[in-house]
Amino acid sequence: MKIELYNLLTRRSVLKGGAAAAALGVAGTAGLLPKSARADFRADLLKIPGVGVGSPTDADWQKVGEMCLGATKQNVTEGEFAGVELTFMGLNNQNLHNLLFRGFLKPWEAYTGAKINWIDLAQADYNGRLQQAIATGTVDFDIIEMGAPFEGDVCGKGLASEMPDWVKTQIEMDDYVGYLKAPVGTWGGKTYRISIDGDCHNFNYRTDYFSNAELAEAWKAEGNAGEWGVPTTWQQVQAVTKFLKGKQVDGQDAYGYLDPIKGWGGFGFYFLGSRATAYAKHPDDPAWLFDPDTMKPRINNPAWVRAIQDVIDALPYEPADQLNADPGTTGFQQFLAGTGSMLSWWGDIGSNAKTNDSSVIGDVCGFSILPGSDDVYNSKTGQWDKLASGPNFAPNMAYIGWGVYVMARVDSDSKKQKAAWSAAAHLGGKDISLWTAAYPSGFQPYRNSHFNVSEWVGAGYDEAFIKSYLDSEANSYNHPNAAIEPRIPGIFQYYSVAEDELSKIWAGGSDAQTGADRIAAAWEKITDEIGRDNQIKLYKASLGLS
Amino acid sequence: MQDVSTSPGSIARTAPDRAVAGTWLIAVASILFAALVLAQSLYKAEVIGWGFETWRPIALAYVGWGVALALGMVWRRGIEGHKSLFVLPAVLFTVAMVIFPTFFGLYIAFTDWNLSSFEGRRFSGLKNLYALFADPYYWNALGNMVFYVLTVLVQYAIAFGLALLLNAEIKARKFFRVAFLLPFMLSPVAVSWMIGKSLLEYRYGPVAKLARFLGWDSPAFFTSPWVAKTSIAVMDAWVWIPFIMIMLLAGLQALPKELSEAAKVDGASKWQSFWQITFPLMLPVSITAIVLRIIFQLKLADIVINVTSGGPGGATDTVSSFIFREYRDRSNVGYGTMLAEFYLVLIIIFITLLLSIANRWVKKTQ
Repeated sequence: MKIELYNLLTRRSVLKGGAAAAALGVAGTAGLLPKSARADFRADLLKIPGVGVGSPTDADWQKVGEMCLGATKQNVTEGEFAGVELTFMGLNNQNLHNLLFRGFLKPWEAYTGAKINWIDLAQADYNGRLQQAIATGTVDFDIIEMGAPFEGDVCGKGLASEMPDWVKTQIEMDDYVGYLKAPVGTWGGKTYRISIDGDCHNFNYRTDYFSNAELAEAWKAEGNAGEWGVPTTWQQVQAVTKFLKGKQVDGQDAYGYLDPIKGWGGFGFYFLGSRATAYAKHPDDPAWLFDPDTMKPRINNPAWVRAIQDVIDALPYEPADQLNADPGTTGFQQFLAGTGSMLSWWGDIGSNAKTNDSSVIGDVCGFSILPGSDDVYNSKTGQWDKLASGPNFAPNMAYIGWGVYVMARVDSDSKKQKAAWSAAAHLGGKDISLWTAAYPSGFQPYRNSHFNVSEWVGAGYDEAFIKSYLDSEANSYNHPNAAIEPRIPGIFQYYSVAEDELSKIWAGGSDAQTGADRIAAAWEKITDEIGRDNQIKLYKASLGLS
Repeated sequence: MQDVSTSPGSIARTAPDRAVAGTWLIAVASILFAALVLAQSLYKAEVIGWGFETWRPIALAYVGWGVALALGMVWRRGIEGHKSLFVLPAVLFTVAMVIFPTFFGLYIAFTDWNLSSFEGRRFSGLKNLYALFADPYYWNALGNMVFYVLTVLVQYAIAFGLALLLNAEIKARKFFRVAFLLPFMLSPVAVSWMIGKSLLEYRYGPVAKLARFLGWDSPAFFTSPWVAKTSIAVMDAWVWIPFIMIMLLAGLQALPKELSEAAKVDGASKWQSFWQITFPLMLPVSITAIVLRIIFQLKLADIVINVTSGGPGGATDTVSSFIFREYRDRSNVGYGTMLAEFYLVLIIIFITLLLSIANRWVKKTQ
């Protein structure tokens, strides 16, 4: 095809999409559209570029940004922010984040006249950069993409701008899933956060492994208990992982669970957390990481030590290079590329399985909430309890999702403040969020409206696949025994120091209990450095205990 | 040429009143600057209630003081003062950018400064130093540094061989000289990704595939301590051997040819010619190259941070990569600075001893 013709075609399709979007936008916010028209709009949105036609590109992101501009137009006139410059700090890793925001905000910039400058950070650099800006009083950004665990550092120090009411209306905040509503995103009763993500770790598994007749036969032949199937407890995960070592599926070496072992700037600790919550989070106790009255770490209690020991026991049965695999490697270079059969990760695996060019498991991927445990440790009695209801499940609400926050430094300039909140609201809009949940973005479903299976099927998703995925997310969010992460200052210092000690344990440098005791000692030191009384107060608040 | 210092009307002779004015200018500017620094310090220490919100005005005052100092020197010392204008900017810049940060860092090293702490920076005496002595991660990293420094000798041997090769009359010598230099031109971060995370990747890396073909079942280059340490050392060597090689090549090209030719006439073998003539003559260049390389080696961090993050279990950790984690991931500025300052002292002592031993050895052999 001639390039000119191709360009013309491409431009035409963009214009067509843009015209449709403009028509809808002029009609008002998508929320004001008649129900059927809004459904059509969302269906059109999800067809960009369409499931199964490759990874979305910058042109697609811009198109989505253009289509979802209607809500902005309700509150901002064209060119209203001419001359305003905003600085946006966020991530620039393989899960897209800032790359995506650039595309989404380009039409917003063209419409409002504002200009956005970008500070791009690697995941592992994020915490250090943010802490340095806070401590040295050099906050050089107006908008930040930030996780709820940092709210103690930012909102607690008065550095964030309070959300205006018009933003709450524009982003249709009532649509958030329950666990993302206040107190998450609030501090001292004021709202600061626009959620753009809802984080939890779910359990991703390979359906072809667990429907494989040869493996089922071998499972029985080797005298394993129960039927061959998807594990629902960590005890079963361990057994399956050991069983699969040395076997082959479709001519390739078969592996069970994949543990991300190499540190990831503190973020790697979440993966041990996902193994530990079923053991450590008792339904009668909201706390699982620290004792809420003293901040005494629980990392060295029998529950956590058991989780650490599980990893030690599983490692010889995992791929030979697992010691040098960080979570990114495990999720994207191993699991999506066909290595391993079980993985705990954020929802990105589900949204990438069918839409990422490098994924080979789109048709053989299933999901559930994190495995449970036959017994759970009771920190109050020091005993292991067997619940009458059966295994204990405790989904790990790891990181509580990304949000967009506006910094207080814009408050002195009303035009700039409105521009910053408008940009943030555009990224956190109800319809744009459906698209980010469905395509590679770094974000997972976080609104009640995201769990409408027919919308996803309309976009090209296989119904069984997407139902499995959405159920795993919704059942995690709404689980009564969900393990909520503490929103306390310096939380990543705790995680980072734990990663160092865990690395030593995984390499055989110390046993589980000794290593866990060392982590506990280091955590006590950090608590004292940051201020124990304050940490206790904030930890209790994050657990809803005060 | 006319002597400007004695010519009539020259600026060499300084009028007494001008000299006095110069002295006064320097004195007043210095007192003012010192008073400003003192007042701002007291304000920041919350002893007095007035001062600047940031230290930026003090930085500007430093520039102003520098200008007054330069002007005062000219007024006071005439042509001698003009001469000082060539040096003064460099001195003031070095004071601001090197000497002050080093001493300020020393102060920070004795404070408890966790960036997440609500209380901010607090003086903590020798607490960080005691913590350092009891920190197994720091001593583990120092132990690893001994290994990494020893690998410099291997790098030197290979670089010497390559330098001899490139100094010989071989075909395409110019091409090889450029080609051998290429790794040194690459950023170590790029090398980390190109080699550590691509060529040596366990699943699809060509080197891993080759290793499998040669019979190594599980070619994981970064999972067992000594293999990981060696893999890092090999990547590091790949980057830095060209640096040593180019220094040695320059030394070889500067050697008088007559000596080796005379040895050849006298019937010396190639080995004898190298060992008895070339190597001793190259000793000063060799020592310079090795010492410089060791200084660089002691700062090894980039490849380790990118490829292994110090693992497995700290096996590849370096002092710099550990300090990096302490700063970046744990925001522990006070302790991190103590680690860095202590390491600086160790490096200074080590390099001084090394130079002293090397000098004695060179004198002895010559």
